[in-house]
Amino acid sequence: MKKEPRREPDYALILVTFLLLGIGLIMVFSASYIIAEEEQGDPYYFLRRQAIWVALGLLAMYLMSRVNYRMLRRFSLFMLLLSFILLALIFTGLGTDMGTGAKRWLDFGAFTFQPTEFCKLSFVLFTAAFMSSRRLRIENFWSSSFIPLLLAGIAFLFIVSQPDLGSALILLAGAVVIILLAGMPFKQVVILALVSLPALVAITIKEPYRLKRLFSFLDPWADPTETGYHIIQSFYALGPGHIFGVGLGRSRQKLYYLPFPHNDFIFAVIGEELGFVGATAVLLLFFVLIWRGLKISLTAPDTFGSLLAAGITAMLALQVLINIGMVTGSLPVTGINLPLISAGGSSVFFNLFGLGILLNISRHCRQ
Amino acid sequence: MNEASVTLSAVRRRVMAMFFVIILAVLALIGRLAWLQIVRSDELYAAAWEQWNRSVPARSPRGTIYDCEGRMLAGSTTVDTIAAIPAQVKDPNRTAELLAPLLDLPESELLERLTMDRSSIYLKRKVSPEISRKIRKLDLPGIVFTPEGQRYYPNGTLASQLLGFVGMDEGLAGLERYYEKYLQGKEGYLLFPTDNLGRQIPHEVKRFVPPKEGMDLHLTIDETIQYIVERELARAMIEFQPKQALAIAADPHTGAILAAASKPDYDPLNYEAGSDYWSLPPVTSSYEPGSTFKLVTLCAAVEEGLYNEKEQFYCSGSVNVAGRKINCWTAGRGHGSITYLEAVESSCNPAFINLGERLGKEKLFGYIRAFGYGQRSGIDYPGESEGLIFDLEQVGPVELATSSFGQGISATPLQQLMAVSAIANGGNLMKPYLVEKICNIDGEMVYERKPEIVRQVISRSTAAKVTWLMENVAIRGSAMNAAIEGYRIAAKTGTAQKVGPGGGYIPGEYIVSLIGFLPAEDPQIVLYVAVDGATRGVQWGSQIGAPIFKRIMTDVLNYLQVPPSESKALPEAKPVKVPDLCGLTVDEAAARLETAGLMLRLVGEGQYIVNQTPKSGASVPRQTQIVVYLSDSENTSGGISLPDLRGFTMKEAGEVLNWLGLYLQAEGSGVAVKQEPSPGTPVEPGEAVKVIFDAPLER
Repeated sequence: MKKEPRREPDYALILVTFLLLGIGLIMVFSASYIIAEEEQGDPYYFLRRQAIWVALGLLAMYLMSRVNYRMLRRFSLFMLLLSFILLALIFTGLGTDMGTGAKRWLDFGAFTFQPTEFCKLSFVLFTAAFMSSRRLRIENFWSSSFIPLLLAGIAFLFIVSQPDLGSALILLAGAVVIILLAGMPFKQVVILALVSLPALVAITIKEPYRLKRLFSFLDPWADPTETGYHIIQSFYALGPGHIFGVGLGRSRQKLYYLPFPHNDFIFAVIGEELGFVGATAVLLLFFVLIWRGLKISLTAPDTFGSLLAAGITAMLALQVLINIGMVTGSLPVTGINLPLISAGGSSVFFNLFGLGILLNISRHCRQ
Repeated sequence: MNEASVTLSAVRRRVMAMFFVIILAVLALIGRLAWLQIVRSDELYAAAWEQWNRSVPARSPRGTIYDCEGRMLAGSTTVDTIAAIPAQVKDPNRTAELLAPLLDLPESELLERLTMDRSSIYLKRKVSPEISRKIRKLDLPGIVFTPEGQRYYPNGTLASQLLGFVGMDEGLAGLERYYEKYLQGKEGYLLFPTDNLGRQIPHEVKRFVPPKEGMDLHLTIDETIQYIVERELARAMIEFQPKQALAIAADPHTGAILAAASKPDYDPLNYEAGSDYWSLPPVTSSYEPGSTFKLVTLCAAVEEGLYNEKEQFYCSGSVNVAGRKINCWTAGRGHGSITYLEAVESSCNPAFINLGERLGKEKLFGYIRAFGYGQRSGIDYPGESEGLIFDLEQVGPVELATSSFGQGISATPLQQLMAVSAIANGGNLMKPYLVEKICNIDGEMVYERKPEIVRQVISRSTAAKVTWLMENVAIRGSAMNAAIEGYRIAAKTGTAQKVGPGGGYIPGEYIVSLIGFLPAEDPQIVLYVAVDGATRGVQWGSQIGAPIFKRIMTDVLNYLQVPPSESKALPEAKPVKVPDLCGLTVDEAAARLETAGLMLRLVGEGQYIVNQTPKSGASVPRQTQIVVYLSDSENTSGGISLPDLRGFTMKEAGEVLNWLGLYLQAEGSGVAVKQEPSPGTPVEPGEAVKVIFDAPLER
């Protein structure tokens, strides 16, 4: 293996990341200051916490951009095991629900931490490392794709019991995407799909209300106060936003109409305050981010780097598309936040952590 | 070493494929955003607007009701309704504690409302200005004030049955109810943006859409005439102690109602207490009309050429119709041989039965229907009664006979008033009405009522002839006591037995009435008065209906400044000789005085008249009151007991007490309302009796 020359990181990626972080901080403040004022007695409560995590995340991003990504291969299993341990710790006294009714956080006194976010990243890292291993025979399902799928299944059970169905599904979907990118034969894909079909049918028959709830987005007005409520409130933000928005800070829907206006539904507030133009701009910034990430994957010098870059980007893209899909009533309502924008410390931290890895890979790319 | 099975080129192919899928997804989401934010923007905005804004309704002031001269009969002020926006209430416990005494509501109930999961809730509707001011001073967060119209009636109970009353939100009776859609304006509201907890968003624009005021009614009612009528009815209530006294007056040429009232009535501001009197009996109740109905038979006979006032008739006191004996009112004596003119003057039943037989049932009932009986007049008042007349198939000889003098049918006072108006105005049945015009808030007229002729019932000459006959009734006949000096008057009395719930007559209970118009040569006003179930005085139209009619008309003519009739046309006011009434029963005495033009004033209790003043043989002017003293035995013996003086004027009370050898110690003015000692107390001559006089109708 010959020594590569150090190259410049992808500056476009850095620029887009900073733009999105900036928009995120502004919108978190706009969406949260009234609720923060009333519930915490401090309008800057959420902004301050988010800013601290963004700072920490940027530090992590910088550091990771300096650490050769190939080194991570050695730590990937360790990181995955660590994330499993952390997920398990939620069931101990350290777990906290932060008043939401779902135990998703670990309380370390000074700060709280969401192991799921860490798990998502380490899972990408592990799968990319595992699938790019030289000894792996992709044709042999049981010795290749099955392993990460099994681990993803275990993580899924951990996360879904918090409960956090959205994140659990993202993790599972992320695993499947990376395995697919690694070249899982389509024959196996078809068989896997056929095998999982009865499970889906079983769930449908056993718990039809879950499915009904999941698909309420198709006609939210059928049940406007219960299952359709969130979607309708999101529409009531987007619609009045029209082309140029009602103006920054002037959202009505954030006044307790939208659930989690600074979190899962922050994109609805963006659509309301900044209009179609603002919402589309944010979506396009994410597209640029994805484009840069995938370009890094395409130009990565080795399979691990390519899979890792694609995996990190895919995980991020998945969350962006699912979140915006949910806010626009195109997909079921799941508790997925908008990466880099939504308030949420662990989320922004590990997303930046991942982007740092991506930046490091970009430094090894063919120009 | 094996070649890796996962190759870089394979990964790149699949990444490219994924990139393509992501591009499609992003395009789809942009399309979705455009759909929601551009195409459906307006629709979603409208729906969201509904959810953002809460409104507190502000009700409109009702339109005002004026009389025909523009005097206010019902007006509206604005008072505050106290409401709460629970989400904005900071300290429900303290708020409830402070408001409970002011709103006169239990603290627990207030607390419950203050903590309700609703955007806003009424605490108390329409509170007084002083309570509202006190609450404003407390400056409690979450307590809001909305203006609402509050009805008030400047004349108190005056015309209460006519006007009706208003509940919290709508007219519930009378004209207030009939004209609800005009009087009630359009609701306005106070609109304010709120967050999802229902709290008002500070610094956001509140919008007040002012309520639109209702329209004003201008009635045909004349407040002064209405007042005169009600005052005299109230006096009659004291004087005769009846179940009910009622009157209705109209302009005979147009059918415009000038006054309509009955006593007892109710206070429109405390209407719950008077629920038995919510209707307007002159319009809503019907009963057997009695002799006033004879005018219909008379009109028909004159119109058909079957009546000749010089023709002779013999009244034996009763007549046999199809095997049934029907009595004249003369208590068995009979009128003897009289002319048909005298038959009308003395209201002879057999003579009218004879006229009815001459007409036949088709013709008589044709006229009855043509005069408007048995059907609603269509007056603009809710709950009008239609009365009841026989179907033609049901009419046998007996029904024909009784109908011709006003028995066996049922009519409203209004129907009788309109029938007599037709006589007064030259033969046209008019459609009665109460509202002359309706104006909007700017005074622009949006509706005007024009007099409406339903049909011509009789010819002009017949009307003139019947008017002349009615004048004679007032000159020589039973309506003499209604005559007013200086005016030609056309009138007819009526005394009807009351039909009980079982269908038969109630013994001893009568509705006595008088209907008439004047001046006879140019009728300005037609008036019907009736007293139902008098317990004092003599239950005859001439004895009760006539004096009330006269008192009302005297003041009304004066008020309307109706010039007196030409003196040439007026009958000579001959003095009358007082008959000897001692030893007679009250009924016998009343029958004797019926066409004498004298009135009875009863003093004391008992069956027989034991004394009288003036004494028999004295020559007195017409309408003089003969005060008679009653006792159970035919001769006076023992001490005297103090008579019930209520309803007497000071002059009358003085005369009575003077005759009994007692002195009047008067207080106040008006009619006697209270006396000391109380009625029935044994008194010795020379004692003083304290009597308090007061206006019969508080104004």
